[in-house]
Amino acid sequence: MRVSAALPTGVAALLFESARRRREAEERLAGHLQIAGFAEVILPILDYLEPYESLLTPAARGELYRFVDRDGELLALRADFTPMLARLLAPRLESLAMPLRLFYRGDVIRYQEERAGQAREFYQLGAELLGLAGEAAEREVLRLFLELATLIGGGALQVVLGFAGALDRLLLAAETDDPFRLAAAVARRERGEVRRAGATLLAVVEDGLPARPEDLGPQEAPRLESLLALRDELAAAFPGVLLTVDLAEFARNGLDPRLTAGEGERPYYDGLIFHAYAGPAAVPVGGGGRYDRLFRALGAEVPAVGFSLSLERLLEAGVPP
Amino acid sequence: MIRFALPKGRNLDVALAAFRAAGISLDGLDAGGRSLRMRLPEEGIEVLSLKDWDLPLYVSHGVADCGIVGSDVLEEVDGDLLVPVRLLAGRSRLSLIGRSPVLPAAGTQVRLATKYPNTARRVVAGRSWGAEILKLSGSIELAPVLRLAEVALDIVQTGRTLAENGLVEVETVAEVAPCLVVNRASYQRHRALLNGWIGRLETAGVVS
Repeated sequence: MRVSAALPTGVAALLFESARRRREAEERLAGHLQIAGFAEVILPILDYLEPYESLLTPAARGELYRFVDRDGELLALRADFTPMLARLLAPRLESLAMPLRLFYRGDVIRYQEERAGQAREFYQLGAELLGLAGEAAEREVLRLFLELATLIGGGALQVVLGFAGALDRLLLAAETDDPFRLAAAVARRERGEVRRAGATLLAVVEDGLPARPEDLGPQEAPRLESLLALRDELAAAFPGVLLTVDLAEFARNGLDPRLTAGEGERPYYDGLIFHAYAGPAAVPVGGGGRYDRLFRALGAEVPAVGFSLSLERLLEAGVPP
Repeated sequence: MIRFALPKGRNLDVALAAFRAAGISLDGLDAGGRSLRMRLPEEGIEVLSLKDWDLPLYVSHGVADCGIVGSDVLEEVDGDLLVPVRLLAGRSRLSLIGRSPVLPAAGTQVRLATKYPNTARRVVAGRSWGAEILKLSGSIELAPVLRLAEVALDIVQTGRTLAENGLVEVETVAEVAPCLVVNRASYQRHRALLNGWIGRLETAGVVS
């Protein structure tokens, strides 16, 4: 009898050279993180669903593989490291010395439509910096992300930067009875829809930025100016990376409750946010940001910034040196 | 070099006319030929010739940077693409069609034939009637005519095909327009060029 070598949709086996490449890349990145002072944590692939129920957007819920265990408990396969790490650390934060620098690696499993041609199991490596507020932590994490991504990813790395809530004021001030729909139109750059909402949002759709930072509002303008300065600083340090600030990209990452009932984005970012793409086909390879409100939702007050990198996609995007 | 995916079907002529009106030359393109990849080196464009249903996948995977595709297809297979503008020409309607001009009665369960099962599920959700959705590949109008289904969800342009087959447009679900779609990362890389195209299309009055 001939046995089929077919695997379920969205998963792949790494054999021989591809396994060697993955392990080698993983060890290089883990070594770099250890030198940078990050300690490894190993997390389970299975967890209860209940602690995450209130944190899940409809889109994230749709991606979860969940099932009832033989003893009747509702469980889910790991789809995201950050909430799991946050829930495990939240109750014991007071006993831990801050700042805390941690990293993890392993598979996450997310249901994706078969047509989308995307993996359902992918290997992530990520880092979290806890207990350090303000821009210093964001700078450290973003710089580390760029170091790791350029270490493995070869050329054509693009990183898009923004911050949560940057457009909330403009979206809520626009003459629309559905600011959430307007946020989606900004994120999709639908000019016809956005033009009716005013020139500043239209400028953000076209250029990623308002004509002047103060057009965003008095609280948002200094945040944008410091992000632009950070972009310039990192662009000088990583000349091969295309670093852009584009607020339209994160229009759905609102902070105002009237804008956060949405789907699509992981809801926990509340400061810096970034997405990265690599290779000629601009494959999404990771991202991260500040997520203090995730800990707050779990009953702990601690500043937190982190990122994750998809190792297979990075390797797919560029030939390692 | 930007990779621009053009559809093979009815939206090709519409797209070419809109770009010509905006002064963006795709004249070197052999629209009637069999070539699947054509380079227009002077314009810095490589054109891919793709079927409507495949085009969003090529753009969302970054194989093509941008393309033209109908909003009917886009709504069905949405791959998180940017949709900066919609062409004014080539518009049609996505409608529920049937043999009689009324929607199914409350509490009934009907069969609905369509090329757009995901859109159909959204259309039926929240209605007082239910539907078993039959996914067909073409000649959707035949399904209600031959009673394979009570209703169909399909594109209506002039309504002539419906009339010739004794069918009526029961409800318009959405206006359908050919859309310029752009890959998220490509927009960051080719922003100046794409904004230039969009500006010229807007000035020519061929998009909304």
